[in-house]
Amino acid sequence: MSIDLLVQALLNGFGLAMVYVLVALGLTLIFSILEIINFAHGEFYMLGGYVTYYAYALFGLNYFATLGLAILTVGLAGVVAERLIFHDLRGKALNAFIVSLGLLWVMQAGAQLAFGVLDKPVPSAFSGIVRVLGLVISVERLVVTLSAIVLIVALYLFLRLSRPGRAMRAVAQDADAAALQGVNIEAVAALGFGVGCALAGGAGGLLAPVFAVSPAMGALPVVKAFIIIIVGGMGSLPGAVLGGLLLGGVEGLGALFMGSAAVNILGFLMVIAVLLVRPRGLVGGA
Amino acid sequence: MLELTDLRVHYGNVAAVDGVSVTVEEGEIVAIIGPNGAGKTSTLRALSGLVRASGGRVVFRGVDISRWRPHRIVALGLSHAPEGRRLFPQMTVIENLRMGAYRRRDGLAIERSLAEVLERFPRLAERRRQLAGTLSGGEQQMLTIGRALMSDPTMLVLDEPSFGLAPLIVREIRTIVESINRDRKVAVLLVEQNARMALAVAARAYVMETGRIVLSGPAAALRESPHVKAAYLGG
Repeated sequence: MSIDLLVQALLNGFGLAMVYVLVALGLTLIFSILEIINFAHGEFYMLGGYVTYYAYALFGLNYFATLGLAILTVGLAGVVAERLIFHDLRGKALNAFIVSLGLLWVMQAGAQLAFGVLDKPVPSAFSGIVRVLGLVISVERLVVTLSAIVLIVALYLFLRLSRPGRAMRAVAQDADAAALQGVNIEAVAALGFGVGCALAGGAGGLLAPVFAVSPAMGALPVVKAFIIIIVGGMGSLPGAVLGGLLLGGVEGLGALFMGSAAVNILGFLMVIAVLLVRPRGLVGGA
Repeated sequence: MLELTDLRVHYGNVAAVDGVSVTVEEGEIVAIIGPNGAGKTSTLRALSGLVRASGGRVVFRGVDISRWRPHRIVALGLSHAPEGRRLFPQMTVIENLRMGAYRRRDGLAIERSLAEVLERFPRLAERRRQLAGTLSGGEQQMLTIGRALMSDPTMLVLDEPSFGLAPLIVREIRTIVESINRDRKVAVLLVEQNARMALAVAARAYVMETGRIVLSGPAAALRESPHVKAAYLGG
């Protein structure tokens, strides 16, 4: 087997994995700030898909403007969900588990009612391929992957440099201590939930043209995100990126040897392997 | 400056704080001593808004803050260095200190406060780029106090600053508390199990047992009290 083929396979894997990293980062951010797991996270991804379908495929808005709109809309939806549903559940993991499962069904059924049960195709914004050093990369995949990476870097800079980002890191490390420094915990929780959902919405927007948009589209990326989070370590943002790279690599290489349905097994095998060797995940602390 | 009146804190049906009244005047150092589980920490958590008091009033600088949330209370000038240090372990010393100034927007004055804190705690200056989680116990306590100073408070609340520290470090902490009080005219409410240290620093003190104040008065008088001697100063 040639090196070219291997590199090509890895690139294919990383491409989509970077989008799943966005979904995983959102889940992780929400988990680290509110100490809850939002099982309806995939439904916010789905909302991002529908925003893209209506704004881009039907209304004809510019692709990147649509992406921004999906991020903004879904982020706002996240803030509203936090204020209405999750704000009393901070730190109550079990209650939040049940409530978010309920929200998952409500949002899926709501989407079926509002948008119909059939898949809605979103045309590709970019066609053609580029050849770099003998590698063949579809322009669409390239744009999707680079956009995901830009969003990951933007999140990093936001958390690192902005005042609300600093507050989020403080709350994630010690919520009471953050409150005593003057951080408004409730505001940070709402914003953090919103940013987490916005990332999912962005991911949904990015993958809408790659897959079709449907009420149940959130299931797959969330499963991938959970694999990434468990491998990387619960609550760790660098861990999520590392987990995503690993998943992408494994799936990319796996695709050389087996069908795409069988490739999905590899992620779970990786989870089992990591949990056996290092139960807290590769970068997980506690 | 600070007035707790008949403060009560309940966890479920259990009263942790059962009608506590404490006052701290401007520029004063006041101690609350008492055994583990007496409700000292719960009292502090109620006055800085971390738990909602189930009864009574907290008045700070003439404002009733009983129902306020913590971030507003800090902004009013009450800074709480909590039990167990509670630093941000994944942030550096400098980042922790800057978090202490989170509510302030006056960039230049924040830099001045930072320089002042680093001057007061040379050990922190040496370790400014180190993660807080990697500091020694004494350094962590100094960082906790330094962080609390970064909000430029008029009153400092210290919960068990001597806990788990070697006698030499405890003496150092004591000197620091005294100098902060002297130089900056900051009132200090000090909660301690280490009664010897607390009664040496404070002008007045309260003895708290099972959720109530059982004794209070000038620290010198409490040092001579048979009950305090027997229970807290080792006879």
